[in-house]
Amino acid sequence: MSKVLCSVATRGRYFTTLPLVLNAIINQTKRPDKLIIFDDNDEPQDMRKELIYSYFFQMLDIKGIEWEWRYATRRGQHFIHQSANTEGFDWVWRVDDDAIPEPDVLEQLFYYTDDGVGAVGGSILTPPYMPDTSKITGKIDNINSEPNIQWGMIHQETEVEHLHCSFLYRAMVHDYNLGLSRVAHREETLFTYGLHQKGYKILAVPGAITWHMKEPTGGIRMEKNKDLYGHDEQIFRNILDYRSKTIVVLNCGLGDHIVFSRILPSIPSAEVFSCYPEVVPGKSIAEAHSLFGDIEPWNIYKKMDQWKWKDSLENAYRKMYL
Amino acid sequence: MIIIAPYAQKLRTDKENPKNYPYWEELVYELQKTMHVVQVGVEGEKQLVPDFRKNLPIVELRKLIQECRIWIGVDSFFQHLGWDEGKKGIVIWGPSDPLIFGHPENINLLKDRSCLVDNQFIWWEATEHSNDRFVKPKEILEHLKE
Repeated sequence: MSKVLCSVATRGRYFTTLPLVLNAIINQTKRPDKLIIFDDNDEPQDMRKELIYSYFFQMLDIKGIEWEWRYATRRGQHFIHQSANTEGFDWVWRVDDDAIPEPDVLEQLFYYTDDGVGAVGGSILTPPYMPDTSKITGKIDNINSEPNIQWGMIHQETEVEHLHCSFLYRAMVHDYNLGLSRVAHREETLFTYGLHQKGYKILAVPGAITWHMKEPTGGIRMEKNKDLYGHDEQIFRNILDYRSKTIVVLNCGLGDHIVFSRILPSIPSAEVFSCYPEVVPGKSIAEAHSLFGDIEPWNIYKKMDQWKWKDSLENAYRKMYL
Repeated sequence: MIIIAPYAQKLRTDKENPKNYPYWEELVYELQKTMHVVQVGVEGEKQLVPDFRKNLPIVELRKLIQECRIWIGVDSFFQHLGWDEGKKGIVIWGPSDPLIFGHPENINLLKDRSCLVDNQFIWWEATEHSNDRFVKPKEILEHLKE
């Protein structure tokens, strides 16, 4: 049976919506195998001293849900999500600290986790705004021209290209972009679209309703610096501009370039960024950094480590790019 | 003519790269009895033979490989270059795994798989050099007789 981690990233909401979220998670009809609360507050507190939290922790113990309160690094929620992504679970249900799931959300989402599915999301409702979703495509090309399908009541299973806010996703397949700023604008769009680009289905499904109790304080809205949003938006736009290409980033040794050169002809529409252009012609690594923010997802050694790789370096490159 | 590429990339610390073969001088002494030995490498590496060609561009290295009878190296870029040129060589392995980083077309000399480090994908700065990981020159010379 697949193992599910529930991750909650929280900042500035100890005494507003976070208790509601935790209560909702504890009372799911399908229990997650573990809950990690990533505390990203500037001045984190020991919540065991708070009566309501002490009850939550006891309820988790009684229900047999392993839990952990982890103090985060205050670099933004994308770092938190990547930490959850690589925690060793099969699936991660990410829940925002102001998004309260109905009791059967995890059960409903999990129902769709077939082979080939990368992420499943339900409705994330912020009344009174509830657009008609019947004609929404969920395609990345339409991201600026249509509402997100999750903003309204979803009436039928729909294959989309991106999700937002809260969803269940297949772990260890795609990395969060850690080149985004602390506000992590577009982080979930980039992440789910990355799963889509890797060939996994992204599903918006009916019957899984989360109530998004947006607050003017807390969360990423605590950041007021518009430049950070601009920085992240530019990375998002750059990645979209290259979406018809297979981006190759060779930030590695000369020998690795030589091995990689054997598979380059098999890669469709390769756009190469290279350290040794005399071996593998391409643009500079600095340009890749500038365009995409984070080039670690193309670190072949990191990938081989994650994959517990035993096969050849050449085949590792095949797995990454073909 | 035989090419030797004795050294793996210099580490960012002053430590010896754990992939470097410790018995080159002994091996080179034997090789030079019957063959002209060309050493390739970069400035700053220890010279082992009179004919040391430093900092050759890739294109020159490729030409040299085509001219040699065989080459001997460690797990460095050179073993990939020799393979890419289709010229069989001898690779002396220590802590890194030839099944991952090597090529079956070469003669891969690994003393024992117990000599490999557990994590093959960390920085080599984290691994100590040990002479015990490597085969002795005699075994390499045996393969040259084939």
